[in-house]
Amino acid sequence: MSDVSIPKGGLSRWFRRSRWETAAMTLIGGGIVMLVQPWSIDLYGYSFVTILTGTLGFTIVSHFPE
Amino acid sequence: MTAAAAKSTAHSIVEASPRSRAVAGSLVILYAVITLLPMVWIVATAFKSQSDAIAYPPKVLFEPTLEGYVNLFTVRTRQTADFIAKLPPPSTWYDVIVRKHDMVIAGPSKVVPRFVNSLIIGFGSTFLAVFLGTLAAYAFSRFRIPLADDLLFFILSTRMMPPVAVAIPIYLMYRQLNLTDTRLGMILLYTAVNVSLAVWLLKGFIDEIPREYEEAALVDGYTRLQALRKVVLPQAVTGIAATAIFCLIFSWNEYAFAVLLTSGEAQTMPPFIPFIIGEGGQDWPAVAAATTLFVVPIVLFTVLLRKHLLRGITFGAVRK
Amino acid sequence: MSTIIHPDHAAMTGAGEVALSQPMKHVRGLSDRTIAWLFVAPTIALLLAINIFPLVWMIRLSFTNLNLSMSYLPLRFIGLDNFTDILGDEDVWFRLQTTARFVLWSVALEMVIGFGLALLIKRQFRGHSFWTTIILLPMMLSPAVVGNFWTLLLQPQIGPFNHFISLLTGVPASSFSMTGEVVLAPWTIVLVDTWMWTPYVMLICLAGLRSIPDYIYEAAEVDRASAWRQFWSITLPMTVPFLMLAVLFRAIENFKMFDMVNLLTSGGPGSTTELVSITLKRAAFEKWRTGYSSALAIILFVTVFGAANIYVKALNKVKQR
Repeated sequence: MSDVSIPKGGLSRWFRRSRWETAAMTLIGGGIVMLVQPWSIDLYGYSFVTILTGTLGFTIVSHFPE
Repeated sequence: MTAAAAKSTAHSIVEASPRSRAVAGSLVILYAVITLLPMVWIVATAFKSQSDAIAYPPKVLFEPTLEGYVNLFTVRTRQTADFIAKLPPPSTWYDVIVRKHDMVIAGPSKVVPRFVNSLIIGFGSTFLAVFLGTLAAYAFSRFRIPLADDLLFFILSTRMMPPVAVAIPIYLMYRQLNLTDTRLGMILLYTAVNVSLAVWLLKGFIDEIPREYEEAALVDGYTRLQALRKVVLPQAVTGIAATAIFCLIFSWNEYAFAVLLTSGEAQTMPPFIPFIIGEGGQDWPAVAAATTLFVVPIVLFTVLLRKHLLRGITFGAVRK
Repeated sequence: MSTIIHPDHAAMTGAGEVALSQPMKHVRGLSDRTIAWLFVAPTIALLLAINIFPLVWMIRLSFTNLNLSMSYLPLRFIGLDNFTDILGDEDVWFRLQTTARFVLWSVALEMVIGFGLALLIKRQFRGHSFWTTIILLPMMLSPAVVGNFWTLLLQPQIGPFNHFISLLTGVPASSFSMTGEVVLAPWTIVLVDTWMWTPYVMLICLAGLRSIPDYIYEAAEVDRASAWRQFWSITLPMTVPFLMLAVLFRAIENFKMFDMVNLLTSGGPGSTTELVSITLKRAAFEKWRTGYSSALAIILFVTVFGAANIYVKALNKVKQR
């Protein structure tokens, strides 16, 4: 039913910006939390990669059409 | 702030009652007084004698003296009482103050050159940043530039970077170019930091000037540049002035770059003030005197800017 | 007005040449396209020279073992070693946690006090404009000067702060040192930062409160909604975009905090107030481990850059209102 409200086909739905931007921002935010959390040094170790992925991802998806 | 006051109508039911206003007012005034106390203490310390400044318990009432200011501007040497007795009588009021402590003035301190550095670097970088910023902001406001939003984000992001991290490569680059500890190097660096604020703020101000004025001028046979000079700039004057003051405040207050990249020649006031040393540690009256002189222009600017502060701290996004 | 979240279509597709938005036939002099480039180019060139070129250079150095105090050593490329070093180093991790605690507490306090003050100032008592200007003063000062004069105020014996506290609580003034004790020092930097930056939050909250149109409250009044309900269902939700803006900006600023804390405690006692910027400064400008500190700088860069993306999104949300 929800598909009815989206006028265009499947592809354009996948490239909707807001959804991807939210995902990228979550990744950035999560990475920052991993960087500074006091519980696990393994999470700390992977934090930079996470933030980097999120930031690059955000730069790309912010150019998707609305 | 006055505009907002006019907006809410007198008979509105949302209007606060006189009693709640009085309570709100006294709470805010209480906060303002508490927040002001540290600054008042510093201004007062500038007029204390060295012994009053380090008295235990701290003195609220004291006999004011200009010792702090004299110490700030001079370098003194301690002499024996015999030596001072043999000198001709003191010729100036500051000689009198200094000799009370068995000292004679040996020369001027470094504070004036540091102050001059602050002024030159502050005004130099402000002028350049506002000049470049006005041009770029005009272009971003009036023309369609490919990837404008990416460029604007890039411009803003350069300002948000941690200064210590930026200073590392700048230090290496300036060492190669012989720009470490030079005024030119600091002016260029502060211009780069300020230009981002200038572009964003000025774009906001220029966006608000209706295009119709320029377009009418263009139809009348002005060139673009003439229209910019004779139509847009006169209307943007307030915005340009506000932006300039923001840039000036940044360069005036900046510490991290100054302490990491300058050591003498081009040192500005912020890294200099904490290291005004007297006999046995910091000379607090002199430090306080320097702080007072350093802060007075900022207080004036704050009063001048109060209507534009909100814009300045949000890069032009919030306009009221 | 074009904003970042709504880039115009021409710019998006890259087909958009520089053109006047409304075609203008009889313009003399330089073409608009030339002017646009002439005007933007100097700014971009300056930023490329002062920001981007050094940044690229730093990325290169972060893969090396360069140490300026031992520059006789041959420059070796060591791949990602600096990064793996830092990201496995407990000390750096602890410094980041110290930074996070500082950010968390200072921003929380600033938000609560700042929002409270804004609610009070919105009542427009007599002279609110004057007192607001007074309150704003601390945030206009140089952080270095602030850090420096608070060291005087916080001196256990000669400073007024301890005596003020002892007046309120009866604890002897010289029995504690705000900057010298492991338990107190982290709170001291929070205190001074809150003193300095609460006005910033207050100003933004005030703008948020003033953006709520009166008629919404009037409608709520008609519906006999209590003041408490009005706050939770009107005031707070409608100011959220502004609050986000304040939180994000203060968090980014305090994450990279250097100047004020460097002068107030310079990281001490021990390393209880050593924020990550101070660690970076020590690695880069005291131990001269340039390769290593470049890598740490890049980690901080990317973190701030990521957060800046979110901040600009918040900015645009506010701009659209």
